[in-house]
Amino acid sequence: MRILTFVVLALIPPAFIGWMVREGRRAPAPSAVPAGKARPSGAEADKTLLALFEGDLGGGKIKEKVALYDEKGLFDYIDGAAPIFIDRHYRKLAAAEMASADGADMVCDVYDMAEPANAESIFSAEKSPTAKPVADFPDAIAGPMSFVFRSGRYYVKLTAFDAKAEAALPGLAKALKGKMK
Amino acid sequence: MTSEKRPDPYECQPAPGNQPPPPPAPVDMNRRAALRVGMTAAMAVGSVAVGLSLRDRDASKKTKTLPTIKDHRAEKPAGATDMAIVRGPDPAVNVRKAIEALGGMGRFVRRGERVVIKPNIGWNRTPEQAANTNPDVVAEVVRLVVAAGAGKVWLTDASVNTPEQCFARSGIEKAAKAAGATIVRPDASAFREVNVSGKLLRTGDVLFPFVEADRVINVPIVKQHGLSLASMSLKNWYGVLGGQRVKLHQNIHLSIIDLAAMVKPTLTILDATRILLANGPTGGSLADVKQMDTIAAGSDEVALDAFGATLLGLNPNDVGFIVEGMKAGLGTPQWQNLKTVELGG
Repeated sequence: MRILTFVVLALIPPAFIGWMVREGRRAPAPSAVPAGKARPSGAEADKTLLALFEGDLGGGKIKEKVALYDEKGLFDYIDGAAPIFIDRHYRKLAAAEMASADGADMVCDVYDMAEPANAESIFSAEKSPTAKPVADFPDAIAGPMSFVFRSGRYYVKLTAFDAKAEAALPGLAKALKGKMK
Repeated sequence: MTSEKRPDPYECQPAPGNQPPPPPAPVDMNRRAALRVGMTAAMAVGSVAVGLSLRDRDASKKTKTLPTIKDHRAEKPAGATDMAIVRGPDPAVNVRKAIEALGGMGRFVRRGERVVIKPNIGWNRTPEQAANTNPDVVAEVVRLVVAAGAGKVWLTDASVNTPEQCFARSGIEKAAKAAGATIVRPDASAFREVNVSGKLLRTGDVLFPFVEADRVINVPIVKQHGLSLASMSLKNWYGVLGGQRVKLHQNIHLSIIDLAAMVKPTLTILDATRILLANGPTGGSLADVKQMDTIAAGSDEVALDAFGATLLGLNPNDVGFIVEGMKAGLGTPQWQNLKTVELGG
């Protein structure tokens, strides 16, 4: 019994040292994120997401490579707006700098929300009270310099910086929606 | 209940004087066991100390050698105005009147001093989209600092979107350069590791002008923010820091206060020319923007943010970083109780 007590007591110091060293080196744990149900698989869903930017884009052209942002990277793109997407089981964002047919800059952000219900939820949450619905384009709103719509599991935000680009947004939106069927 | 002293069977008897000294007494078993326990306990205590020192070794080594950002606040002259609120159609005029009401830029910047100006240039957005500070406001601040005799005027921000786009699209780079500022883009070489000494943040990579400057001027915009409710003066210090932003958002209000407590600016000029009421901090749609034509200036960031919160329709007591800022002694949300001047533009 005494030997056992001695062994147990003797094991405490190395165990404690190990624990302290591990604590000191460990990075802070990321906040817990609720998992979505029946989420599309990673590589396949990424491929489908990137395919939206191929082919006709209503006359628009991609200026640089389409960038993908996962949950962690989303903060580096939209900062404090990220949690409202993550809370709705957001999967990935594909963001592209684009130019309209006449060379005006615009930005195309396609959020893969994993499920249509999540896309509907974020669309409702972000809808500006003063933004106007778009005729012949269900689940879309257009504010000056902006065109936002949802289709299936996708939530799309298009942003313009001048009148020329603003005029090109509906064409880009229609082209993207056509690929989301 | 009585306790009786039991005879110790191993107790040594006193030796008679004519007898040789007795052999050493055998160590009794109870004492031996006690010795073992004592030694183990001593080892455990020693191990705790070793463990603690190993755990903190790297961090303490770093914080001892890293620079600390100095307190940039200026002394307040007796009777000086604490806060100025100016409303009018011309942003530059509003800035001039606000600074005049506080006693002029000379109260904050002395001849030859190195000054860093920190607007919000976080976003690839135009001035009309109200995600960044208004370029006319920034340019006027630069002009006033140059006119006060500053030896060097840096202008910088760690943009969230691609810096080249943000600095250009916001109109700030062009306006500030024309007014006399040196633009510092947030390239990797522009950061220095410093001691933050915050509750959450121990160290951080900070844009070098904040380490080298004599004076710091904060020029944030007022806007809604999805996570912290609002982004104004205190939140603007996220833009001094490099690295991944996700870790900052795990406890956003406390990390805001850690950074605000680190910087302690000389002067803050709150831009409410246009404010973003929804979908912040990014914005994009002009439907979310409201023209307010207002500038507020002073040295109390908590007071300025409390005022800014009211423009967004928020109760300052509901904004976590305002409450935490007050608790940390960075200022008061009761801006009405300060010596405040309100003017037309």
